This record gives sequence, structure tokens and C-alpha cells, in this order.
Amino acid sequence: MSALLAVRDLRVAYGKVQAVHGVSIDVDEGRIVTVIGPNGAGKTTLLGAIMGLLPSRGDVELFGVPAQRMPVEQRVESGLCLVPERRELFGAMSVGDNIELGAFPRRRDRSVRATRDEVYQRFPRLAERRSQLAATLSGGERQMLALGRALMGKPRLLMLDEPSLGLAPLIVREIFSIIATLKASGVSILLVEQNARAALQVADYGYVLETGEVVAEGTSALLSVDPRVAATYLGQAAASGASPA
Amino acid sequence: MSAAGSPGGHHASVARAWRAAALFALLVVPVLAPPFWITLLNYIGLYSIVALGLVLLTGVAGQTSFGQAAFVGVGAYTTAFLSINYPAISPWLNLIVGVGLTALIALFLGFITLRMKGHYLPLATIAWGISLFYVFGNLEFLGGHTGLTGISVLNLFGLPLRNERYFFYLIWAIALASLWMTQNLLDSRPGRAIRALKGALEMAEAFGVDAVRLKIIVFVYAAVLACVSGWLYAHLQRFVNPTPFGIGQGIEYLFMAVVGGAGSVWGAVVGATLITLLKQVLQDALPHLLGREGNFEVAVFGVLMIVLLQRTREGVWPWLARLLPGPVPAPVSAPPPGTALARRERPHHDAPLLAVDRARKQFGGLVAVNDLSFELRAGEILGLIGPNGAGKSTMFNLISGALPLTRGEIRFVGAPIGDLQPFDIARRGIGRTFQHVRLVPTMSVLDNVALGAYLRGHAGVLRAALRLDRAEESRARAEAAAQITRVGLEGSLHAAAGSLALGQQRIVEIARALAADPMLLLLDEPAAGLRYREKQELAALLRNLRKEGMTILLVEHDMDFVMGLTDRLVVMDFGEKLAEGLPAQIQNNPVVLEAYLGAV
Repeated sequence: MSALLAVRDLRVAYGKVQAVHGVSIDVDEGRIVTVIGPNGAGKTTLLGAIMGLLPSRGDVELFGVPAQRMPVEQRVESGLCLVPERRELFGAMSVGDNIELGAFPRRRDRSVRATRDEVYQRFPRLAERRSQLAATLSGGERQMLALGRALMGKPRLLMLDEPSLGLAPLIVREIFSIIATLKASGVSILLVEQNARAALQVADYGYVLETGEVVAEGTSALLSVDPRVAATYLGQAAASGASPA
Repeated sequence: MSAAGSPGGHHASVARAWRAAALFALLVVPVLAPPFWITLLNYIGLYSIVALGLVLLTGVAGQTSFGQAAFVGVGAYTTAFLSINYPAISPWLNLIVGVGLTALIALFLGFITLRMKGHYLPLATIAWGISLFYVFGNLEFLGGHTGLTGISVLNLFGLPLRNERYFFYLIWAIALASLWMTQNLLDSRPGRAIRALKGALEMAEAFGVDAVRLKIIVFVYAAVLACVSGWLYAHLQRFVNPTPFGIGQGIEYLFMAVVGGAGSVWGAVVGATLITLLKQVLQDALPHLLGREGNFEVAVFGVLMIVLLQRTREGVWPWLARLLPGPVPAPVSAPPPGTALARRERPHHDAPLLAVDRARKQFGGLVAVNDLSFELRAGEILGLIGPNGAGKSTMFNLISGALPLTRGEIRFVGAPIGDLQPFDIARRGIGRTFQHVRLVPTMSVLDNVALGAYLRGHAGVLRAALRLDRAEESRARAEAAAQITRVGLEGSLHAAAGSLALGQQRIVEIARALAADPMLLLLDEPAAGLRYREKQELAALLRNLRKEGMTILLVEHDMDFVMGLTDRLVVMDFGEKLAEGLPAQIQNNPVVLEAYLGAV
């Protein structure tokens, strides 16, 4: 299987503060890879650097091509898409318009229509609320709209930043089952999450990030019983204490 | 006073030499220079006084005003009208009337305008700037567009100031006095608060600053300066018409402040000099260069302004200031025994200090804090933790007064504080830091920390400007220095706060909170963004404070930091209390672990 994304020794700093200290991850085609970790670990910074929104040092290879000098627009056109942590929907525009804008990189493509039908089929609730203003949607619906908008670009690699943020457990379950079905339709996913359990249930492979460094990695089956995961969330004692299962 | 021969002594003597030379030049110029230069320097002096007000109002306090020329007009027209119609009244009395009238108008306009945010404020200043111009031009008793002539001569101790040379001394004496007063003001208790208005207003309010009142006072101060300039102008020219008080001149005054360097009082003089000379040169040189008559200087002036503003964002003064010896910061001396700032009475160890009683916060239908209750005892460090979105920050803001309670009570030393404003809560003895550091980066560490002691002082703007606040000021600075030493940063006392590393800035924030003499410290994610060693230093500091009897409530995400430091933990999830207990208990609590690792 070919690596869609290969990150080697990535370093990102905000002024004097080093947020990411030499992180290396791989996302192979057709897989869901997750990066989990507590708040402040540097997960959003990592995605920002891969997307090209933040200056960074190290190597990022996108779809086999070195991407360090590629501007953001080019990365998007080559098939990379990010659903940001705060969704960043266009609140004053309708659901339908938000969806349309997702296809902006492919605006000259004839197959946009077919994609649009697919998205509305996958998210019937969005079809119901097509003319509603995006700002009036509930938390779960916003997440669906953000996903739908991202899918309109027919991405090869979809990066999701904390899709469970701010959502009730029931809705989290719904969103994650949708994420699982995305893999079946050929979208590879890099999932960044604070909710370790939900992420490890849906992913194939995982990395554990703590204060800017990868402290553990492995298949999701192995990680979900690894006491080091609990330790990053609750401090060292948790590693020897309760079992996370 | 540092000994001669040491670097500080050398600095001080070079500075004194510069000052003596400047004073000498000022005394000698009107005697030697040709009349054209005297006139020019007189105008530069008049403009400097107005620009000085703008340095304070726009440069420091961040309130952009295009309408200062209107206030110059109020000063000029008041004395013109009075001296023509009531020549028996001394022109000096006209000044007092003018200042009073200007202050009233400024209070009124300030009250309306200063509530506006963003681009509405400058637009409003343009609006009344133009309005007042038309008032001057349309009122018959003010001479309409022709203006008023025959303004009486100004008498200084019996000497009639008929001559431009004599006026030079008066104008520059007043200009220097204004510079002195404004410099004093910036270096005082209200000055620190004014300097926080631009970038850290919410923080200043949390330390007791009444921001709205302060902005209006600064606005009136700038207006009064403009009025004085107008009064001088009227008696210099002995003739006024509306032209110099229009919006064009108002824009030019702002240019002077900004080009000169809106961060320093000397920027006003530099700016006034540059712009005046530039206009003069353009008016003379352009017709020759272009071979024809016409007002091309306006176009060239505009282009030059754009270039200057692009090249020197901070204005010209900082660039010049590098050539001069820097100011030696005044040493901080300990106050005489018994005169230090009053301290609060400390609560007994373990006595109940803060009680959160079924606190509830709803944002419409969203319940962020759901009937949460916990207690904090004096002398302990309590950690408030929970996964993202648990409501920790909301609970923190309820205690600090940044958000009002929907229901329930929060009691501090027995008294309810749920309805109080942030500055009232500060007054009661609760100090806080901010998640994103809110220091004034251009101010020294000492001044930033001294701002924390704002409520422990009383000096107002007038006392500060006249330098009558020195005793109180030295007490405040001594207190700030003591807190800075307490947190271990005495090496950076006079450094600009913005130049410190993030970890040190966090510690400066704690020193500032300590300067308010609190009984309870609220720390909002103090370890966020810090490196390992910085976290250890911070934890050591907090342990020391606890040993000294301080009570601390901290909201934090970093578990290693929290587990090793706190006495007790309260865990929140979905707005409710999930668990409470000792760190070891919490770490082994399966319910807590489940909440953090996530529900599926």
C-alpha cells in the first residue's frame, strides 16, 4: 500500500514556544490513522503544519511528492482536505451554499453534481435543511455539514480535527459511525482526537501525542489496552492504576 | 544616585549635558534667529501642544481622534470673543473660561463617542470635528467666515507680548510644561492604567480600573491641551477665522502624532517639527521644481505621509531616541518603616474561604455549569480539572466575576460575590491570571506588576501630572519590587514585559496578582505552553506561596503538573462534579479515567 502522507521529524514553533518536537507519522491509502492525546499536545498544530497553514521544519510528503514548498491551494487541489477544530462553517450562508463551496477546487468539473447527490444521500438531515442558515444548526448537524462540505472536494486524504469536540456522547457515536463508512468509499483519513476510545474504535493505526512528541504508536487494537495511553491523560500513576478497558 | 564614573553616572551626565544644551538653544534662538524662523518655531510649539494630547489619547490610550482642531478653535474663539466684547477681562481669565468650556464640551462628546468601538470612533470624531468647524463659521457673533479681528494683547506680568520673540518664550514654556506634566502622568498610577487601555482593557478592569471613566478623562485632557494651544494662537495672531480649525488640520495633527512617534511625548515635538518643515519646504521648492504655480504640495505631502507611515510604523522618535542615551530607570528604594501599603488580614489555615453552592450557568438552552458545589479551604491548592468542554473555564469565570451566575451562590469569606463586577471581586481579595498572558508588552515588568496594586492607591490624573504623588508612587513601586523578588524575577525588574519568555511572563502575571494583596489566587491554565523546566519553576513558586499561607485555585489540563502540586482535585464533566478527592484517589478513579479517555 502506498503512503498518501509521510511526515518526518516535523517541528513547529509559535515564536519562542516549540509546539511540535520532531513528529513522524504515516498514513497509508485506504486506512484511518488517528493521533490522540490530551489538550495542548499539539494535535491541531500538527494538522495546521501538514496543511501548509503554519510554517514548519522537517519533511512532509503528500501523495508521493515533497510538499514543503507547496502552497495551501496546491495541497488542496492535489486531494488534501481539512475539517478544522471549530468547523469554520459560513454561518451567514445556507447549508446548500456551504456544501457548494466545498466543491470550489473542482468547480469546473462536471461530476460535481453527482458528488452533491452522494453527499445529500449520506447526510439526509442536511438535505432537509438545505436552505437553513448554517449558524442555526445543532452541534451534530454542524459536524455533518463540515464533513459534507469537505467530501464535496472529493479528497484523497481527509484530515479531521477533533470531530467529537462539544458533542454529546450519542452524537459522537453517530459521527464516528459515519467516519467509519467514509473509509469504505475510498477516503483515507487522518483523525486527530481527544476522545481516545472513540478514535481507537474506528481507526486502524494510532499515534499518541503528548506535549508535541509521539510517546506511543501501534495498531488501534494494541493501543486501546496500552496503559501508556491512560498515563498521558491522567498522569503517571494512572498507568499502574485502573485499566482503560 | 549612582557614583560618577559608573555607567549609570556617565549616562546621567550625558543626558544632563543634552538637556542643558537644548535649554540654552531655546533661550538663545529668539535673540539670534531671523523672524521667519521665529514664526516657524512658534507654530511648531503650538502644534506640539495639540499633538501631545493626541500622543496620549491615540498613541497610548488607543482612541483615534481626527477632531482635535475643533478644540483648538474653542480655545481660540472663546478668548477672541471675550477679549473683543469684554476687553476689561484679562486674557488669562479667558483662558480659564476657555478651558472650562472645552472640558464641558469634551465631557459631553467623550461620553457619547468613547462608547463606540472599531471604526465608529474615528468616524464620530470626524463628524463633530466638521460640525464644530461649521459652528464657528456660521455664527454671526463669532464673525462668520470672516472671523474676528482686534484680539487684545496678552500681558505677562505687565509686559505686553506684542512681539513674536516674546511669544516664543511663552509658547515654549507652556509646551515644555505640558510635556513635563504628560510625562509625569504616564509614569504614575493612572498612567499605568492608561497604558493598559489599548491592548489589555479587560485585564485592567479586573484590577479595579474604571476604563470608561479613564478614557473620558484622557479625552478631556487632550482637549484642554488643544484649547490652550488655541488660546495662545489667538493672542499671537490677534485674529481668528474658522480655517485653521477644520478637519484638514485635524487630520494633520494626527499625522504629527503618528509620524513623530505616538508612543512617546517627544514624538509630538518631532512630529510637529517634521510636518511643519516639510510643508514649508514643499511650498517653496515645488513651484521651482515643477516650473509652475499650484497646490502640488498637497499631493506630494500625501505620498510622503504614506511612505513615512509604511517605513516607520512606530514613528520617527524611536529611531532618534537610539542616538540619545537611554533613560536610567529610577532605583526602587524600600519605603520608610511603617509607611508600606496596608495589608489585608490573613484568614486562619483551613478556615473555609470560598464556597461554591449549587452554581448554575446557562447560555440560553445550554447548561454549562449544572448545580456545581465545592469548597475551598484557606492554605490549600485546589485543582479544577476535567476533559475539554467540561465547563471548567465557565466555572472559573463565574468565580472571577467575568460571567454572572444564572442560579446558585458563590461565597467568599462568607459573603456572596456572585453578582459582583470583576473589579469589586478584586477589591475583596481575589486575584487572577489569564489563560492568554495579558501584560502591557511595552511597559517594564515593574510597572506591569505595579498595576496590580492599582486599588491600593489613590492618586488621580491631576496629582500625577503635577508630580504630587511621589510618596504614594514610591510605596507602590516598592510593593511591586517586593512581589517581583518574591517570585524570583528581580533580575528583570526594568525589562520590557514583552521581551520575557512565556514562562517568565506567566510568573509576572502571578506577581501582578500578588501585588493586589489577595487572599485567594485564581490561576487559569498557568502551565499552558510552558517547557518542562518552566513548569517545574512555576510549581516550586506555587508551593512556596502555599507555605506562606496563600490559597490557590487552578484550572489546568496538564495532569503531571496538577498531580504533583495540588492538595485536592475537583473533576468536572458536562458541567457537573464528577469526583472530588486527593490526587492519588482521582488518578485511580475509573469513572474519571473513562471521562478523560472518552465515552463511546
